[in-house]
Amino acid sequence: MRKIEKITVTIDGSQVSGCEGMTILELAQQNGIDIPTLCHSPELTPIGACRICVVAVEGSRTLVGSCHTPITQGMVIYTHSPKVLETRKVIVELLLASHCGSCYMCEKANVCQLRKIAADLEVGLPRFQTRKRYYPIEDVSPYIQRDLSKCVLCWRCVRACNEIAKQNVFGIAYRGFNSKVVVDFDQPIDKEVCQDCNVCIDICPTGALSKPREVGEEKKGRPLVISS
Amino acid sequence: MSKGQEGVLPQGKEQENLLVMLERAQSEFGYVPEEFIVEAAHSLNVSISEVYGVATFYSFLSTKPLGKNVIRICKSLPCYLKNSQMIIKSVEDEIGIKPGETTPDGKFSFELTNCIGACDEAPAMLINNDVHVNLTPGKISQILKSYK
Repeated sequence: MRKIEKITVTIDGSQVSGCEGMTILELAQQNGIDIPTLCHSPELTPIGACRICVVAVEGSRTLVGSCHTPITQGMVIYTHSPKVLETRKVIVELLLASHCGSCYMCEKANVCQLRKIAADLEVGLPRFQTRKRYYPIEDVSPYIQRDLSKCVLCWRCVRACNEIAKQNVFGIAYRGFNSKVVVDFDQPIDKEVCQDCNVCIDICPTGALSKPREVGEEKKGRPLVISS
Repeated sequence: MSKGQEGVLPQGKEQENLLVMLERAQSEFGYVPEEFIVEAAHSLNVSISEVYGVATFYSFLSTKPLGKNVIRICKSLPCYLKNSQMIIKSVEDEIGIKPGETTPDGKFSFELTNCIGACDEAPAMLINNDVHVNLTPGKISQILKSYK
């Protein structure tokens, strides 16, 4: 059996060691350093789509995504330098610029990871004025409802469906601003395999995927009767 | 799937063949038909949405039938700075359709494309495989006439 190599790196000024094959994010988390993530999920293959977890590495031309960059011997990493913080902030601002922005109306507002990251990074009113992504809500399926105006293209549902549910329902189609998570030939989602799954709904960081709410669902309890 | 379409599929089952398959379908049929996408997804063991995603990502693949001549105007930055918007407008006026559409007589399809590598002579467009460069609105009607 091959021995697992210990690797020593400098992270935010202190020397720590990790194992070969670990990512910068994993090492940071192990040492109590908090790096925000959006597209990353420990149970999915990292793809570095959102870039919110970027960190500075000495000798690297650009900032690197910590969720998918493995540590190497002698690496010097800065997770919270001014440049890193500013970059993360602009990334969130850009995500929010084309986001529908209807947090007040959104049922997932208080569990939304995009909103949480924006609050943590102190992102205020959007600086960038651009078109908003808009798609009508897909409510054909009784098991899953999609509101793609809220989608941030993190690929979590695509990966979760492929890797956890093993159903390969989603793909990403089109290009640039028009990129979109699609089902088959860009049809509204309505698949029998989605019936008892919910994997993608639970893993979606925004309000893009949700369970359709049934009318009267909240009023299931017995009516209150006050007897005199 | 018709007999003609079967011949287009390469023998390998590897997923890296996907783009080659789609390119062949495009040159064979002039577009990538839906049945072809279903068949390709089956033979490579990937989902239909993944094949559809690749087919819709590339400017030179189309999922709808195209007209006899395909006009592709570059929408990238250098052409934009050299006023490609004016060229797009004059093509619209000339053949009466917007980007993404095909004329009712099937003679022209009008598409916008990403960079075609003619930035030094921007604004540029492709009609089928011919490159037309240094465009001005005045040149458009004569160029299009030669394809009518």
